[in-house]
Amino acid sequence: MTGRRVIMDFEVTPTSHTLAEYRARGGYQTLEKALKLQPADITKEVTDSGLLGHGGAAFPVGRKWGVMKPIPGEIHYLCANADEGEPGTFKDRWILENAPHLLVESMLITSYALGVRHAFVYIRGEFDLPFRRIQGAIDEAYEAGLLGKPVLGSDFLLDIVVYRGAGSYVCGEASGLITSIEGRKPYPRNRPPRLTVRGLYQKPTVINNVESLANITGIIRMGAAEFRKIGTARSPGTQLISISGHIAKPGVYEVEYGYPWAKFLDEDCGGMLHGAKLKCVVPGGISTKVLTRAEIEPLTLCHESVNPAGSGIGSGGMIAIAEGTCMVRLLQVLLRFYHHESCGQCTPCREGMGWMHRIIDRIVDGKGVPEDIDRLYAISHANDGTTICGMGDAAGYATVGILNKYRDEFEHFIKTGRSKCDGRLECLA
Amino acid sequence: MPRLTIDGREIEARKGQTVMEAARDNGIFIPYFCWHPQLSVPGNCRICVVGVAEKDGGEWVEIACNMPVSEGMVVFTNSEKVKARRKATMQFITLNHPVDCGICDKAGECTLQDYHYEYNGERSVSIDAKQHATKHHDLSARIVLDNERCIQCTRCVRFTREISKSCGLGMQNRADHSLVRAVEDGSFEKDAYSDNVIDICPVGALLSRDFLHRARVWYLKPTPSVCPGCSRGCTVNLWHRRPEWRLRSPGMQAQNQGIDRVTPLENPAVNGPWICNKGRDLAKLLGRARAEVAMLKGRTAELQGAVAQARALIAGAKKPVAAVSSWASNEELAAFKAALGARFTAFVKADHAPEPGEVVEDDLLIRADKNPNTAGARALFGDAPPDIPKDADVVLVWGEGLDFGVIPAAAKIVYLNAWLQPENGHADVFIPLSVQTERDGTYTNFAGVTSAFSKCFPKAKGVADAEALFPLLAHGGRE
Repeated sequence: MTGRRVIMDFEVTPTSHTLAEYRARGGYQTLEKALKLQPADITKEVTDSGLLGHGGAAFPVGRKWGVMKPIPGEIHYLCANADEGEPGTFKDRWILENAPHLLVESMLITSYALGVRHAFVYIRGEFDLPFRRIQGAIDEAYEAGLLGKPVLGSDFLLDIVVYRGAGSYVCGEASGLITSIEGRKPYPRNRPPRLTVRGLYQKPTVINNVESLANITGIIRMGAAEFRKIGTARSPGTQLISISGHIAKPGVYEVEYGYPWAKFLDEDCGGMLHGAKLKCVVPGGISTKVLTRAEIEPLTLCHESVNPAGSGIGSGGMIAIAEGTCMVRLLQVLLRFYHHESCGQCTPCREGMGWMHRIIDRIVDGKGVPEDIDRLYAISHANDGTTICGMGDAAGYATVGILNKYRDEFEHFIKTGRSKCDGRLECLA
Repeated sequence: MPRLTIDGREIEARKGQTVMEAARDNGIFIPYFCWHPQLSVPGNCRICVVGVAEKDGGEWVEIACNMPVSEGMVVFTNSEKVKARRKATMQFITLNHPVDCGICDKAGECTLQDYHYEYNGERSVSIDAKQHATKHHDLSARIVLDNERCIQCTRCVRFTREISKSCGLGMQNRADHSLVRAVEDGSFEKDAYSDNVIDICPVGALLSRDFLHRARVWYLKPTPSVCPGCSRGCTVNLWHRRPEWRLRSPGMQAQNQGIDRVTPLENPAVNGPWICNKGRDLAKLLGRARAEVAMLKGRTAELQGAVAQARALIAGAKKPVAAVSSWASNEELAAFKAALGARFTAFVKADHAPEPGEVVEDDLLIRADKNPNTAGARALFGDAPPDIPKDADVVLVWGEGLDFGVIPAAAKIVYLNAWLQPENGHADVFIPLSVQTERDGTYTNFAGVTSAFSKCFPKAKGVADAEALFPLLAHGGRE
């Protein structure tokens, strides 16, 4: 076991996602409790719980809510960001497939707290089963009178619309997401104004990751003080980690913050595939910097432990990479992705991603020149903090993370035209 | 009123302004590609970065176009950090730019060229081949797009959404495959203001088909003028060959005397920075076949003879009537009023009416009255209806647009016009006039704003200037 659980606290069966079984587990009782509280008290409870956003940036949820002062009569929106596009991340998918009612209940509580009348679930286009499950759960909730009409005798009512994206990475960026809901090309927007001031349809909007929202029910159920007992002081609660790569038991795990990282990989995930040696780990989606086996040895899975090591928990999309993997080709795959997904709005990312992709392609073709490594550094640096959204920075972090630790592999590839790791990855046995 | 410091100069900004606006208002230059004073702020070119001093002594670099001013802010437009950022951005922007300035119509007035010398000035650091894109794409019948030169600032896209409201352009694809394309419903083709995107394009991506490879801009000279296309009276620049660069080869003489292109002359009181497509086509309107020979009942005559004949007719008339041109300048109208106003019963006629297919009127600039100086003419001659009494014995018709059928058969016709038209031969006396590009003058638009136009070309031989002609018609120039 990986510590206490908040979200994955039930047994998954073919029917565990239904309203009946959710109610049998005590579902929608927290909503009743929440409706007896004042909206401001719920916001305070969430702020006190210290819940950090689970979308990747770890921004305190309470502080984001606090910016949006509910004004009576004014329109506010809530969006659940289910556009889970970060490569290696598939934790929200688990919630949407197996606990959709947990999300619906959390969105009801959140909307009550923030004075929201219309909420959206923005789900990525490639998600099929998750879409059917969340749409099914919302349909069930409408039938049960939880949505669309005043809830449980109060005067609060909410409509939830599921909006399917077309599968663009940048739609997962909050402002790109709302632009997409508005029906336009999902170009991220400049800040200021913040989205909590002027967001969807120019109205104050809170956008939270699915997992962040799913935690709200637990926080209100057990209370902030109780919630803080889970996890560590600065990272309260749990993190859903979706692990993939050369690992024996890939999948989604709920890990209590502060759980030892090495133990998680070696015991809970069953170690590396076919006994291969671990080369490095991508901690939380490919936009975080890779960490080597030696670096993760003393670390625990929480923000205060991982951040000083120069990386981050990010979105919890962990990828285990076995010894023998060619890091040059790995970076090629990443840069191809970033090039393909750059929205093309602002200059550094639009031109930089393609440039980096062409450089790495050339290196893999055996036509690299020694200056290429410095050029990759320079492009990454020129993308750091200069773009409208965080995508340029993310690509830069990933590139610099790999270059810093595996520069020798790049130099070898440029010098010899061959990979240092050719043909030695044999973990498929 | 927040006070802030830009480059050591303390300035006062208006609340809600951005750093870019505050700097411009105070004459401090910050470079920009995508920003435009009349359009929304997309913040996508990233060239307008400025540094802002932080409390701990550091410097925070952000784009000026989207940065609200705040009290006590200290901004640097030229610090080392800002210069490095700008240089990196210029390297990105020119990464896939073909640098084909030698064959680019924009060369010489291109923002990218200027900024390259100012903020980068180095060869490309990339050794990879440049990305190719469509080199010649017909965006509409009027506009050619070179996607390789495009820097995706989206000014043109925003123009069609925010100013002309045709929503005719959009961005296709992602990343460095992004392309500006017209939407499929043809709304850009119908956009009556589409050519403005050529002016606001900071590079040579959007090109006028009319002006394509016609002239290098440094061989041309802009002369301020007023568009006679409608009663808005937009101020324009007429670009024509500089005399010192005139073409000498045979067959090219017409181009020395022609308008090569028309661009808006920014004028907040009338048209802002825009003009409509009809204004762009002034060369066609003003370049129609000219009448350059005087005629008496269809037979060519000397100008002096025709003037004498007209004077005799007017002197002997019992009931002379004049149809005054609404294309005449205020000066010409005043000359007519002074010389012949007492003698004639005058009314103002419309020289031009909306043509089939033309946008008659809209909310932005285009007015239904297709004459530039109706307001000026009516101020002098009143707004009596264009009605010729049955007993008129001499009718002076000034300018086009009057059907001779409405003139009593017994009346003698004195016709003053600049263009070659069938009516010229039907008049008893025909005197050719100069056109707008051959003289100075002013027009008064529908709102009462008077704008001046200047002479571009010498007057054609054999034509009269209306301003000098009227005193001759009145009393032969003898006082």
